[in-house]
Amino acid sequence: MRREGSPWQGLGTVVLKELSDHLSSARMRVLEWLIVLTAFASLYGAIQQVKDTTAEDPFVFLRLFTVARSPLPSFVSILGFLIPLMAIGLGFDAVNGEHNRRTLSRILSQPIYRDALLLGKFLAGLATLAVSLVSLWLLVIGLGLLLLGVPPNGEEVARSLIFLVIALAYAGVWLAVAMLFSVLFRSPATAALIALGLWLFLALLWPMLASALAQVIAPPDLMSIMLGRPSLETLMWQQALERLSPTHLFAESIIAILSPMTRTLGPVFLSQLEGAVIGTPLPLTQSLLIAWPQAVGLIAATILLFVVGYIAFQRQEVRA
Amino acid sequence: MRRLLPVLAAACLAAVPLSAHAQDKGRDVKGLFLMTDYPAVTVQPGTTSNVSLRLQNYGLPPERLGLKVEGVPAGWTATLLGGGQPVGAAMPATDSSVSLQLRLEVPKDAAIGTHTLTVSAQGQGQNVSLPIAVSLAKELPAKLTVEPKLPALRGTARSTFEYQLTIKNDSGRNLLVSFGAEAPRNFETSFTEQYGSQELSSIPIEAGQSKDIKLKVRPPTTVGAGTYPISVTVSAEDAKANARVSLEVVGQPRLRISGREGLMSARAEAGEQASVPVFVYNDGSAPADNVELSGTGPSGWKIEFEPKTIDRIAPNQNAEAQARITPSPKSLAGDYMVNLKASAQGEQANGDFRVTVSTSTMWGIAGAGIIGIALLVMVGAVARFGRR
Repeated sequence: MRREGSPWQGLGTVVLKELSDHLSSARMRVLEWLIVLTAFASLYGAIQQVKDTTAEDPFVFLRLFTVARSPLPSFVSILGFLIPLMAIGLGFDAVNGEHNRRTLSRILSQPIYRDALLLGKFLAGLATLAVSLVSLWLLVIGLGLLLLGVPPNGEEVARSLIFLVIALAYAGVWLAVAMLFSVLFRSPATAALIALGLWLFLALLWPMLASALAQVIAPPDLMSIMLGRPSLETLMWQQALERLSPTHLFAESIIAILSPMTRTLGPVFLSQLEGAVIGTPLPLTQSLLIAWPQAVGLIAATILLFVVGYIAFQRQEVRA
Repeated sequence: MRRLLPVLAAACLAAVPLSAHAQDKGRDVKGLFLMTDYPAVTVQPGTTSNVSLRLQNYGLPPERLGLKVEGVPAGWTATLLGGGQPVGAAMPATDSSVSLQLRLEVPKDAAIGTHTLTVSAQGQGQNVSLPIAVSLAKELPAKLTVEPKLPALRGTARSTFEYQLTIKNDSGRNLLVSFGAEAPRNFETSFTEQYGSQELSSIPIEAGQSKDIKLKVRPPTTVGAGTYPISVTVSAEDAKANARVSLEVVGQPRLRISGREGLMSARAEAGEQASVPVFVYNDGSAPADNVELSGTGPSGWKIEFEPKTIDRIAPNQNAEAQARITPSPKSLAGDYMVNLKASAQGEQANGDFRVTVSTSTMWGIAGAGIIGIALLVMVGAVARFGRR
């Protein structure tokens, strides 16, 4: 039966309701505290490190995001690890939870299409993540101001805002993955487990597997065996495989944005560095150009995963 | 007196075999002598001069000899000095001498002419005197001379000019000669030994001897072409001498290269030609002809100039050229150093330009296209699968 009127009717209602559910849920509070506390710890370490070692740096504030002091990893790597956890936590029971509570058909009997329901849930999850990421960002800036005593300059603010947008796209990918599984599997536990399993696989196992696979696809030639180094072809394959993981895409784009000295993310030939003035920061637009393919990957993956979940949801029988 | 006579007679008798003995040794002088090397001197009114005297005793027993100067014109001061202080008597030992000096202070207004002063030494029975003729003259012959071997040198504004100078001490005394040079403003002058790098301000020269020194002159590099005089003055006590040398600076072009308003940076896109205005300045003192422009950059870069050669740049003028810089298509974004060079007649100027390379935004647009396609897929899915 064809639909009449706008598919987005009632979208606002769904978004607001879901948002209020998320923000008041105990699960969200636990996840937020987890992220805030670990991020705070690593940030404190970074500030100590910056105070100890940095003599003169035009981008002191960006160092707060990227500098690590053992045993804690840096702020961005903690975020790269924990953003998926938060997104999965928000999305794994989005649809099947309604199913199990038998509320889905009741909602759909309202003048709300499935489109609006799914998109509303997705947007509400994204908004929740955005709220927590923005507050984290403000925490970083505020702590930096308080403990370093230097105001960030315009470019630093712009770069860290771009970082925020990329982190949101990264969160969007995992939210879309979690919602896809919540559509596909009736049991929230199964959906959560599979989503978490995928997250652990991509974050921890895939980097190791990628290099092994690259060796298989492009076996090292005689030259590289003698040099004890992977050949260029192997390196290209390894990088291409690694880039299938959103975690890797996120890490790469963050390097380009938060370390202005980064000139490229791929392998560099010596001839390309001839005459180069090493250590000079790139203008923001050039850094953006370097990070842009990664950002595109994240954004496009978010949209496509959502579309897959959408199609699956549309074809589902919901009245059971 | 009577009692002394036999003693003198005995002495005279004894002197005969003695003198015979002395003759054997090639000397038959005996007695007391007051001597000077130059018994007639010329001095200038208003100056003080010294006359060296010697009181010699040949074969006589030591005796106290009172000294005095007679015939001193009114207004003159004549002092006998021995060992640096005024003395009134001297006592030369047997076969030895005492050095004395007669210091003469002649007043400025003394009349020109010749005066004879008599210095006498008087003891018991001994009396020697020495007349010294002192002539007054307005002009005295030079006591010091300085002579350059090569008085005129030629070179560029950046060369060092070295003059060999011979200083001769014609005065009768050992002198400590000091020297100085007067050169145009900002010229750097220094005196050194003939062979050696030690800088000097004075040098001791014995009487009648000469010494060679070297005068080094470094003109300021900004000096224009032309001939510059340098005057050398040597002086010691009351003597002075002058010499003039000259220095001819030949004009030379001097090039400098930079961007517009001194800017040494440029922007370029990887693989795309960028045009950078380049200015060649001639700060030298002669025109630069046929200035060739060239550039070196990282491998794979192309650097050309429009025009390739500049015909002529007059002194203190500049010329503009366009540098066409094409970074290698494989260049990464970031800053690179490129060296631009202008050369003419052995003179060359270098400029390090910093080129900020940006990469093409084509892939950025392609990325936006991919996102657009993803959105289209979503719209398509909504249209295709949308249902109640």
